[in-house]
Amino acid sequence: MRRSSARRRRTGLTAWGFALPFTALFAVFMLLPVVSSLYMAFTDMRGADLRTTWAVNFVGFDNFVEVLADPKFQQAAGNTIYFVGVAMPLTLGIALLLAVLLNSGLVWFRSVFRVGFYAPVVTSIVAVAVVWRFLLQPDFGLVNSALGVVGIDGPRWLTDEAWAMPSLIVMATWRNVGYLMVILLAGLQGIPRDVYEASAIDGAGPVRQFRSITVPLLRPTLLFCAVITGIGYLQFFEEPFVMTQGGPLGATNSVAYEIFNQFGFGNYGLSAAMSYVLFVAIVILSYLQFRLLRTEK
Amino acid sequence: MNRTPRLVAAATASTLTLALALTGCGRSDEAGTTAEGSGGSTNSIPDGPATGTIEVWAMGTEGELLPELAEQFEADNPDVTVNVTPVPWESSTEKINTAIATGEVPDVMQVGTTLVSGFVELGGLAPTPQEIDSAAFFPGAWDTTVVDGTSYGVPWYVETRVLYYRKDLADKEGLAAPKTWADLTAFAAGLQDAGAEHGIALQTRGNSTALMYLPFYWQAGGEIMDAAGDFTLDNDAQVKALEYYSSFMRDGLAPPVLVEDEKVQNFIDADLGSFVSGPWERANLLTTAGDDFADKFGVAPLPEDEATGSFIGGSNLAVLADAENPDAAWKFVQFTTDPATQVDWFGISSDLPAVQTSWDDPALADDEAVAVYQDVLETARSTPAIPTWAEIEHELDLVIEQVIAGDLSPEDAAKQMQDAATSIGTGLD
Repeated sequence: MRRSSARRRRTGLTAWGFALPFTALFAVFMLLPVVSSLYMAFTDMRGADLRTTWAVNFVGFDNFVEVLADPKFQQAAGNTIYFVGVAMPLTLGIALLLAVLLNSGLVWFRSVFRVGFYAPVVTSIVAVAVVWRFLLQPDFGLVNSALGVVGIDGPRWLTDEAWAMPSLIVMATWRNVGYLMVILLAGLQGIPRDVYEASAIDGAGPVRQFRSITVPLLRPTLLFCAVITGIGYLQFFEEPFVMTQGGPLGATNSVAYEIFNQFGFGNYGLSAAMSYVLFVAIVILSYLQFRLLRTEK
Repeated sequence: MNRTPRLVAAATASTLTLALALTGCGRSDEAGTTAEGSGGSTNSIPDGPATGTIEVWAMGTEGELLPELAEQFEADNPDVTVNVTPVPWESSTEKINTAIATGEVPDVMQVGTTLVSGFVELGGLAPTPQEIDSAAFFPGAWDTTVVDGTSYGVPWYVETRVLYYRKDLADKEGLAAPKTWADLTAFAAGLQDAGAEHGIALQTRGNSTALMYLPFYWQAGGEIMDAAGDFTLDNDAQVKALEYYSSFMRDGLAPPVLVEDEKVQNFIDADLGSFVSGPWERANLLTTAGDDFADKFGVAPLPEDEATGSFIGGSNLAVLADAENPDAAWKFVQFTTDPATQVDWFGISSDLPAVQTSWDDPALADDEAVAVYQDVLETARSTPAIPTWAEIEHELDLVIEQVIAGDLSPEDAAKQMQDAATSIGTGLD
């Protein structure tokens, strides 16, 4: 008995020895920042306290109360929910549609399309912003010129309170659809062909096959896509940052953008608190997605 | 097997407890870190030539051109080496904050006039020695170095806002450059009669809308803060200025929502009659439209109402509190702000001198396009040197945008500005 326990301890030590480099790196570069940001969220730390980070006051939940009562944060939260609520289903839907079409063999030049849809994912947001600003330019932009041909007087997309967010939703969808398409395409190719053949013999049409075979067998892939997109979209930042600076009248200000602003103003405590509010929102959304899309046993 | 989570939990818990125990102490009594050398100008610049190495951080174009000026200084002081490190403006604040927090700082640094208070709050800058004569500079420029009564650094170059207008359109209607508020309204309308789609362009939203608007508030007789350091934003001057500023958009004299990127092109195409900008715009217009365009536009001071007023910007040079070679550093700063060096620097960089006597030099006085700035600079002012100003300015941007959109009355807006500023505070305690 004693021998075996001693050996077990020795094995444990060896294991810890192997795990030490990672554990140390993890503790210093992941755990410590996480813990200190949590600590920051409960203090009144400002930019000026950088040299004396310990000499700040502990303020309990004051930062969280202030954040949740702040009308600007409430507007940003509303905008973020609007964005996630519309852009996430839209991106997933279009990505699935494209993946099915590309997988079905109906499309010519398949690889050309794959590259085409994936290109926005790897293009720098700065270049994308320039091009989209040209597209959406009110007087001579491509979108409004095209609308003008059919007699529609297009709005000032990025400076109109009602149209700014939809414009950014379309842009974000366009940017992200390629990535999900590639993942879904891989998932589709993992579904055995004979399932489709068997169902065809039973008389199932393409729509029925899609509903009863493709979607259920694609569930794990869809779950992955939904979670990844949800997390990314809740941290909606780049599009308003490069296109609208959160305007007009705060219509495209997002939670992540507000956090960025508050950090810039040196309100470290407050913005850390905002970050944790966002973190909780991400946890809740991901949990719901897991509940909704988990594979039935 | 389940030891790992407990270990991690224990480590986390102990870190937290430590953190809480330490925070229990809270802030010390001397709240701001501005205390360092707060006795005003106790340090002084010794006589004799400078020696050793001076590390200088400068931003943007200045960072690229400063070595040319540093060569002159090295020629005057054979035992000194000046190392200039160019820093991009976009990343400068974070870079400097990090440097100050870790103590790995240069000796001299270029500081944008609106950024001074933030670095002072961190305890990063050294107070200005008494050898530097504050009266030599434009008062508005000197004020940007003063935080809570003590000066940190010296004005290096300045810029201010003026009205750019299409001279050809104005001549067509026989319009003289506007002198008063009523003139400016009539001027904008006249430029529209002469064929421009909009008579003037004023910023309607986004960052630094407040900087475009505040000159009108100053012209109406308003002040951002009183002598006691309290905000004074809710008053008749604010209501009047907001009413006047938004009247241009409401009456169709200015684009209701200005797209900044289109401004210059519209001006060149004569679709836009006039706009407010700084000295750099001249070079920008000439590169875009060709040198012939110089005859087609004029530059005039902003109009006056109760007072004259414009915004003064630019950069200061500051010596760091942790500088390794402060004596030589101050000598270098003294050299760059010498009236003759300032004229040389204007020749190198086209940056406008912050020293008033430099403007008597023919290089500036005889250049019509430049001389117009001198009068404007004498009364131009900056925004308050308080660490929270960026946040307050952001609030003002949002309020002004709502007034222009017609969502908020000038009276309510003035009240909101005051409330926002008061609740954010000065950050100086």
